[in-house]
Amino acid sequence: MSRSVLVVEDDLDLVGLMEMVLTDAGYEVRTAGDGRRALERVTEGMPGLVLLDMRMPVMNGWEFAREFRSRYGRACPIVVVTAAENAQLRAAEIEAEGWLAKPFELDDVLRLVARFLPERGAAPPA
Amino acid sequence: MERTGAAAADSGSAQGISPPAAVRSRWGRGLPWTPPRAVIAYAAVGLCWFVVAGRALSLVRDAALRDELWTAQGVAFVLLSAALLLELVRRARRGLLGLGTEVRAAVESMLDGVLVVDGGEVVEANRAAVELLGAGGKDELLGDLELFVARFQPRTTEGSPLPASELPIARALRGERVTQELAVRRGDGQEVVLSVAAAPVVGQGARGLVVIVFRDVSAAHRLESMRDEFLATAAHELKTPLAVVKAYAQLVQRRAPAEAPALAVVERQVDRMTRLVQHLLDASRLRLDPGAGPTERFDLAGLAAEVVEGVRRAATRHDLQLRAPAPALVQGDRERVARVLRSLLDNAVRFSPRGGPVVTSVELGGGEVVVSVADQGLGIPEDRQARIFERYYRAHAGTADDYGGLGLSLDTSREIVSRHGGRIWFESTPGRGSTFRFSLPAAQGAGA
Repeated sequence: MSRSVLVVEDDLDLVGLMEMVLTDAGYEVRTAGDGRRALERVTEGMPGLVLLDMRMPVMNGWEFAREFRSRYGRACPIVVVTAAENAQLRAAEIEAEGWLAKPFELDDVLRLVARFLPERGAAPPA
Repeated sequence: MERTGAAAADSGSAQGISPPAAVRSRWGRGLPWTPPRAVIAYAAVGLCWFVVAGRALSLVRDAALRDELWTAQGVAFVLLSAALLLELVRRARRGLLGLGTEVRAAVESMLDGVLVVDGGEVVEANRAAVELLGAGGKDELLGDLELFVARFQPRTTEGSPLPASELPIARALRGERVTQELAVRRGDGQEVVLSVAAAPVVGQGARGLVVIVFRDVSAAHRLESMRDEFLATAAHELKTPLAVVKAYAQLVQRRAPAEAPALAVVERQVDRMTRLVQHLLDASRLRLDPGAGPTERFDLAGLAAEVVEGVRRAATRHDLQLRAPAPALVQGDRERVARVLRSLLDNAVRFSPRGGPVVTSVELGGGEVVVSVADQGLGIPEDRQARIFERYYRAHAGTADDYGGLGLSLDTSREIVSRHGGRIWFESTPGRGSTFRFSLPAAQGAGA
């Protein structure tokens, strides 16, 4: 599986941070500021993981997830990263594979990404 | 003066509850002459008439005259009984018509819409029903039920279509009594939300009859969605900047380890701000939303382990211990129960400024699960203990031990626990610490 992460998030500061941290950790990072741009990124190449904010302009997380699933099924896992009150519930709504509540710990982000995109040769996630 | 006023009000209400003079139900008393009684009375009078007339005529000696008189009394009886019957029918008809007119006028004047369905047909609709459904007239509503449903397209309030068998009308036809909110497209194309109550009509000759009463709750519904939208936006807008600041503080900490102590302060303050925002959001949501949240069955011991672990990261000077020997299943809103436990742990840590043990225990017994959080911190001054569950009340406000907070977390916790059918209480000794406990009913079939 590709070691690329697609970060879908409308807050540019947060996007910049994710890019730095994940690139430092050896991942290939692509970014999109809303759901529609994210779908365009996906057509350029299927990522190994999507980190998805829910409330975004143009096309929000719910709409993106619906469209993504209808086009590609479960071709890649989606992890919801949200400031909503109940992140787990939001994740369940779109049948996401994982969730992370904002504000988060950087270690948690790295752990979560590593769970879905293990290093080559390492054991797949349990 | 006030006492006098109150006493007068009391005596007034005492008079108010004395039984009123008996008033017979107007629609329940039936007709003045019911048919069986009228027939029996008619037969009895007729019998007496013939016996008395027969006896009287036997005294007449002239046979020709007797025959004539006999015929005359027969004609008189027929005429009299015809008049009597006519009067009876007239009265009964007037009574029935009066009752029908009154019931019809009352139903027509109702502010709620009323529909009556007989089997597969809408057979009656009142004026309010016509108005609420935006129809041109009553005739547009009467007729085939399937056409009626196709026309108004009832859906769930989220907008998803309802199978015909799940509509209140269908369920009432199966004998259920249903109350449900439905989105409907009115005759004029406007979308409204109706609160619909449907029930089978019970009574003689009412087989297959269903009565549906409904009212427009669109305004209340709109307000509810605006409230949800507002709280969701507030959560997002307030927490996103905090998330950004926290994440950058951690990033800088990684890249410039020498600045770790300063950045740890930034992080700690962001966490504090996050907690305050969360308390405000929780309190607002609870105040605005009288209903229960989503419920699920979950293990309170497992949840306690998660929450304790989360607090442990921030409370480095405290020794956080967990005593939860066995799973303890409860039913409820897991996220909200987690908030209660997190609030109690936050308080225990905050009001133990010198550190020390904070022990969380989860025990199952007597049909309930009791969670306790014990600290060896400041304790609560005795004269302030009675008020600590009041909203905005802060037991340490204005003292040297004022460690901040909004005074919302215990009020919110109590509200959450009571909505789950549980209790919350505490013991505290100033200078020696506090133990807060809350109980929740154990989930059915959990086993002790």
